[in-house]
Amino acid sequence: MKRLYTFLTIFVLFSLVLTACGTPAPTTQPAAPVGGAPVEAPTDAPVTLKMVAWDISTTPYWQAVIDAYVAKNPNVTIELIDVSSAEYQDKVNIMLSGGDESDIITVKDIPGYSAMLTRNQIIPLNSYIETDGLDLSAYSGAAEELTYEGSIYALPFRSDIWILYYNKDIFDKAGIAYPDNDMTWAEYEDLARKLTSGTGADKVYGAHHHTWRSTVQLATVQDGKNTVIATDYSFMKPIYDMIVGMQKDGIIMDYGSLKAGSIHYSGVFKNEQIAMLPMGSWFIGTMIAAKNAGEADFNWGVAKFPHPEGVTAGTTAGTLTSLAINANSENKDAAWDFIKFYSGVEGAKALAKTGNLPALRTAEVLDIFASLEGVPAEATEALQTVTVRLELPMHPKVGAVEQILNEEHELIMTQSVSVDEGIASMTRRVAEALAE
Amino acid sequence: MHSLPEQTQRGENDMLTFRFRAGAGKVAVYVLLCALAALMLLPFLWMISASLKLDKDVFRFPIQWIPTVPQWNNYVKIWTQIPFLTFFANTAKLTIIITLLQLFTSSFAGYAFAKLEFKGRDLIFLAYIASIAIPWQSYMVPQFIMMRKFDLVDKHTALILLQAFSAFGVFLMRQFFISIPNDIIDAARIDGLSEYGIYFQIMLPLSQPALATLTIFTAVFVWNDFMGPLIYLNTQSLKTIQLGLRMFIMQYSANYALIMAASLVSLIPVTILFLTFQRFFVEGVASTGIKG
Amino acid sequence: MDAMQFTHLNKTASGARRKTLTQNLVAYSFILPNLLGFATFTLIPMAFSLVLAFMHWDGANVVTWAGLDNFKELISDETFRIALGNTFYYVIGTVPPTMLASLGLALLLNQPLRGRDFFRTTFFFPYVASLVAVAVVWNMLFHPAMGPVNQLLTALGVDGAPRWTASVDWAMPTVIMASIWKGMGYYMVIYLAALQGIPSYLYEAAEIDGANAWQKLRYITLPMLTPATFFVSIMLTIASFKVFDLILVMTGGGPGRATNVLVIHTYNMAFRQFRFGYSSAIAMVLFIIVLIITIVQFRLEKRWVSYM
Repeated sequence: MKRLYTFLTIFVLFSLVLTACGTPAPTTQPAAPVGGAPVEAPTDAPVTLKMVAWDISTTPYWQAVIDAYVAKNPNVTIELIDVSSAEYQDKVNIMLSGGDESDIITVKDIPGYSAMLTRNQIIPLNSYIETDGLDLSAYSGAAEELTYEGSIYALPFRSDIWILYYNKDIFDKAGIAYPDNDMTWAEYEDLARKLTSGTGADKVYGAHHHTWRSTVQLATVQDGKNTVIATDYSFMKPIYDMIVGMQKDGIIMDYGSLKAGSIHYSGVFKNEQIAMLPMGSWFIGTMIAAKNAGEADFNWGVAKFPHPEGVTAGTTAGTLTSLAINANSENKDAAWDFIKFYSGVEGAKALAKTGNLPALRTAEVLDIFASLEGVPAEATEALQTVTVRLELPMHPKVGAVEQILNEEHELIMTQSVSVDEGIASMTRRVAEALAE
Repeated sequence: MHSLPEQTQRGENDMLTFRFRAGAGKVAVYVLLCALAALMLLPFLWMISASLKLDKDVFRFPIQWIPTVPQWNNYVKIWTQIPFLTFFANTAKLTIIITLLQLFTSSFAGYAFAKLEFKGRDLIFLAYIASIAIPWQSYMVPQFIMMRKFDLVDKHTALILLQAFSAFGVFLMRQFFISIPNDIIDAARIDGLSEYGIYFQIMLPLSQPALATLTIFTAVFVWNDFMGPLIYLNTQSLKTIQLGLRMFIMQYSANYALIMAASLVSLIPVTILFLTFQRFFVEGVASTGIKG
Repeated sequence: MDAMQFTHLNKTASGARRKTLTQNLVAYSFILPNLLGFATFTLIPMAFSLVLAFMHWDGANVVTWAGLDNFKELISDETFRIALGNTFYYVIGTVPPTMLASLGLALLLNQPLRGRDFFRTTFFFPYVASLVAVAVVWNMLFHPAMGPVNQLLTALGVDGAPRWTASVDWAMPTVIMASIWKGMGYYMVIYLAALQGIPSYLYEAAEIDGANAWQKLRYITLPMLTPATFFVSIMLTIASFKVFDLILVMTGGGPGRATNVLVIHTYNMAFRQFRFGYSSAIAMVLFIIVLIITIVQFRLEKRWVSYM
C-alpha cells in the first residue's frame, strides 16, 4: 500500500511538471500570417548561418550555390549540417523537438513540410515576400502547392518533374517508333505490351513501375480533379486496373519481387532489362554519370510524361525541394536573404549547371540544363511543362493519410486484395483518419 | 544452493556419448552441423560476394555468387568516399569507453544488489528489471530533450552517459555474484576486510567470466548501434560507422556494394573481440546463477 | 547456517543501528555510480514517457492533459488490434522454436566433436552481423520468384510456392524464421554454459543404474537445465514482445499491416504522426502485458524450476 502511494505521488508530480513546462516553445507566435519583421538591407556584420541538408558530399549544388552567394556577401559564412537522406525527416523532427537553432531547414517532402508547419517549427514567409516584391508565379504553380491557409512557409528551389525514359536500342530492335511527347496512358500500355519479349534472364519488360506508391498514383491525380487526400478513392480504379493487369501479364516486374529483391529502377534500366521507365528528372543526372563510368553504354532518350485522356501534354507530376527558416533561428533576416538567392535566378543557374532541375524554370535556365554534356536532345522538349502537380498536397494530416495509402497500395500490388477491395479499404480508413 | 565457480568447467557431457561411438551417427551429425553452419554463414558469404560487385549487379537475379569481375577497389573506395577512418576511430573510442564504464559500474552495483542488505534494495532492483520491458522508441524523445537541456547534444559524452549505465549489465552481474557462496564473503568480513576490499580483492578476480560476457554483449551493442548516434550526432567528424554506412544510401540511389564492403570491414574487430573473449564466455554465463 | 550469523546479535541496539546506517551508506556507495547515471538518463525519461500516456503532445508544442482519452481511442483503433494480434503471433511463433533450437544445438555442440569451437562461433555469427545485411540476404533467399528456396520448392514439384514477404499470409512466418535463425546461436551459448554446470557424477550414477541416453536426457539433463530454461524464456519473451528492428528492415510492417507489431505502431504514431501521448499509451499497454507475463513466469518458477 505504501509503495502504491509512493508511485501515485511520483506520478502526479511528473504530470504537473510536464503540463507546466512543456517543451522549448518556438520563439514566434503560432501560424498567423505575421512572419518576421520587414527586411532591412542586410548589414555587413559577420553572420554564420547553419543549414540542414542531405547527401552533401554527393550532391554538388549545395556547395556551388553557397559559394556563389558568399562571393557576393563575404560577411556571411554558411555551415552545412549533413543528415543521411533515408533518415532525414526523422532526424530533423527530433532536432527541432529538442529546440535546435539551425537557421535554414531544407524541406525534403510534403509530409515533412506539413509536420514542421503544423507544429510551428518554421515561420511564414509572406511578409518577406511582400516586402521584397517576389513574383511567385515564376515557380509554375509550386508556390501555390506550398501555401496553406494563405501562408507560405518555404521557398522552392528545386523541382523535379516526372518524365518518361526509354531505351532507344530496344525500340530500334523491335522496329517501333520512339514514344512521342503526347502519349496517353492507354497508348503507353499498348507500347509496353508490344515491347515485352523474351523469357527468363533475357526477358525485356515493356515498362517498369518502381515500388513507390507514387509511380501508380501520380497518374490518378494528373487531371487535377482529385488529390490523394480524398473522400472516395474510386477515381484511382482505372489506373490500378491497368497496372495490376500489366503485372499479371508480365509486362512489368511484379511488386513483390521488386520489394523482396530490393531491386532499384536504376539497376534494371542500366542493365537494359526494361524498355520504358516513368521516373523523375533527377534520373537524367544518374544516367549521365553511369554512362561516364562505363556502366551504361546504350542509347536512351526522354519524352514527356504520359497523360490521361483529355489532359494537355506537358501536365505532369513533380516533387519539390524547398527551404524554410527555423522558428528558433536567431538570424532570420540573414537566412531570408540567402533563401531568396538560392531560390532565385542565380541559384537556379547554379543548379542547372550541375545537372539538376531548379524550381525556377526560365528559358535561359532550361537552356543551360539541356546543353549539358550527355543530356539527350529530346530533353528540351520533354522538360517543358504546362502544369506541375504535387503528388502529395499540403494537409495537416498528410502523414497519417500517406501511411494508410502506402499500406493499401502494398496490399493491392502484392495481389493480397483485389483492386476494388483495396480502394474500398483506402476510402474507409482515410475517412476515419480525417474524421479524428 | 549454488555451486562453486571453480566447479563449472567440465568436460563433455556423458548423456549422449553412446550415440557417437557409432560411426554412422557421427557422420550424420557432422553433415547436419555443416549444413546448419552453411545456413548461418550464408549472409556472410553473400556480403563478401556483394562487396566485390558493381552496385547495379548486387541485386541482379539469378544470384551470381562469384562475381565475374571482382571489384577489389570497392575496398579502397570505402576509405576515400567517406571518412571511414574517422568513423572507425570514433566507434572504437565510444565502444571502449562505454564498455569500461559499464563493466565497472555494473559490477559495482551488481555486488551490492547480490550480497549487501540495504534499504530500498529490492525496490530499486525491481525498477531496473521493469525498465527492460520498455522499448527505447517510446522514451527516446523525452530523453533527447533532456540531453539537449544539459547541452550535451552533438557530443560523444551524450552517448556515453546514455549507454554506460544499463539495467542489463546490473542484472547480469547480480546474477553472477549471487552464485558465489556467502562463506567466502563472511570469512573475509570476519577477517576485517571492508566491503570495498572484498569487492576488489575477491569478487572482481572471481568475476572474470561474467565480465568477459558483459564485455562482448556491450561492445557488440555499442559497435552496431545506429539510432543513438543518429539522434545525437550532427557533426561529421563525430559520427560512427553505422552512420557512415547510411551515407552510401542517397536520395535516389544506394551503393550496396560499398555498404557491404564497409560492413565486412567493420565486422572484423567485433569478431576478433568475440574470439578472444569466448573462452571465458561459456564459463561466464554458466555462473550467472542460471544453473541454480 | 554458521556462527557468524549470531555475532551480530551480540552487539548493543544502538551499535546495531549504527551498523545498519553504515551498511546502507556503504551499499549505496556501490550502487550510486550506476544508479545515478541510470536514474538520470534512463529512468527519468522512461517515467516521463509513461506519464505521457495520459497526455496529448506533438513533440513541439505544449503538453496538455488527456486523462484516459488515449486509452479510450486504443479500444477502437483497428491498427492497434492488428498490431496486438501480430505481436502475440510473433511471440508464440518465436519463443518455443528458438528455445528448442538453441537447446538442441547446445546438446549437439556439447559433444566431443572436431571443429566444435568453429561451429559454436558460426552459430553465434548471425547475432553479431549487421541487421541490414541479414534482412537483405534473408529477403533474397526467400525471393518469391528467383530465390533459392522457391526454386528448390518448384523443382520438388510444389505448385504455387508461398510468396514469403510479399504475401500477407507468409510475411510473419518468414520474419519469425529469420528471428529464430538469428537468436538460436545467442541462446545456445546460454544453454551450453548451463550444460557445463551439470555434475558428471549424476550421469555416472545413472549409468551404473543402467539408464540409457534418453533416460539420462529426461531425468537428469532437462531437469538440471530448468534454471537456464527459465532465464532464457524470460529474456526471450521480453525481447520478442519488443521486436522492432528486424521487422522494420525486413518488411517495414507490411505487406499492408501484416507484420505490424506493437513497437512499430508506437514508432509510427510518434514519428510519423507526432502523437507522442498516444504512442506512449500503446507502449504502456505493452509494458503491462510484459510485466504480467513475467510475473506469471516468476510465480510458476517454483513449480517447475529445480535448483540443486
